[in-house]
Amino acid sequence: MKRFLVTTAAALFAATAGLALATSAGAAECPSGEFCVWQDSNFGGQRANWSGDDGWWESWISDTDSSWANHGISGPGIKDHVKVYESAWQGGSMTVCLAPGQEVGYNGAANDRGDSHIWSMGC
Amino acid sequence: MLRITARTRHALLAAAAALLLSGCATVGPGPSEASGLPSGAAAQDALLKAAEHRLVVDCLKGQGLSLTSRPRAPDDDRTLRAALFGAGPRELSVTLATGATVTAHTDGCLAGARNRLYGDQRRWFRAQVVVDNLRAEAQARVSADPTHRAALARWTRCATPPGGTPHSDRPGRPVRAERPNPAVAVRCSRESGLDEVRARLEATELVTVRALRRDELATYRQLRDRALRRAVELPATVPPQKGPTHS
Repeated sequence: MKRFLVTTAAALFAATAGLALATSAGAAECPSGEFCVWQDSNFGGQRANWSGDDGWWESWISDTDSSWANHGISGPGIKDHVKVYESAWQGGSMTVCLAPGQEVGYNGAANDRGDSHIWSMGC
Repeated sequence: MLRITARTRHALLAAAAALLLSGCATVGPGPSEASGLPSGAAAQDALLKAAEHRLVVDCLKGQGLSLTSRPRAPDDDRTLRAALFGAGPRELSVTLATGATVTAHTDGCLAGARNRLYGDQRRWFRAQVVVDNLRAEAQARVSADPTHRAALARWTRCATPPGGTPHSDRPGRPVRAERPNPAVAVRCSRESGLDEVRARLEATELVTVRALRRDELATYRQLRDRALRRAVELPATVPPQKGPTHS
């Protein structure tokens, strides 16, 4: 895990990828309709969140991801599953695929490896 | 006597793998067409998703909530999330061979809808998570294969030009050998043989992984078929079930 210091630069990154301080107690603090990634395990530390795809995560979260939550809202014809990849542009191995409501507090193999994600109809 | 040559074995394996590579959700035939259910996987997925959505919307409506009002104030969204995804401890948990422990709640409208459709949300959760991640498991096994490691090393040498400064397509961002610009990555994947090695090994590993997870695949098919039958029988409006939705 890597810690991330809140900086002005980090606030700027939030313009393209949502950024917020997260609490690790209880349910993961991830807005409805979004896919969230935290720098620390158990949904702690800095959080990035997206409602769409991102082929190359911002540098502050890429390869520093330690927990993940899919709070996508499902519906007919809606891409509600999230696939996480270890390389940019959905390249390399897929580290995990999450259905709506599923969360991963820690994954030793995928820790600090994520670079991109895509929403899909299924896994 | 029937002789199976290495080439024939390879062709059979490739054919089987091609079927498997068509998607992790392709897990075999569903209910018979005579039952009136859709026969294609995509149509079945759409039916299940629509049924789940109806159950969720009706459940939320019973609590005075809706999915449609956006954007929401943070407190309103927190209320919606608790009603939709559940709250408190995560009662459902499955640790995959990849090391990921996937969790979810047994309360909330989404869990209630799945419980009602699939009948046993704990069994369904386990089967769904494992089957959804068959490809991730196969790819993790590929990454550990020496042939893949060798191809990846060739790719890294290709993507790192003399002098060791990797190509980058985002000024101001840290540049690393493993993340060259997309054009370089594509060229190096082809020249190093990484794409070919990865595709070949993944096909083989998917066969292996599906054999290893045959119990979960069988449960997945069984509960999915059950859910399909329930989905077509759902009434126009669905009164929310009373009491806990825990299995």
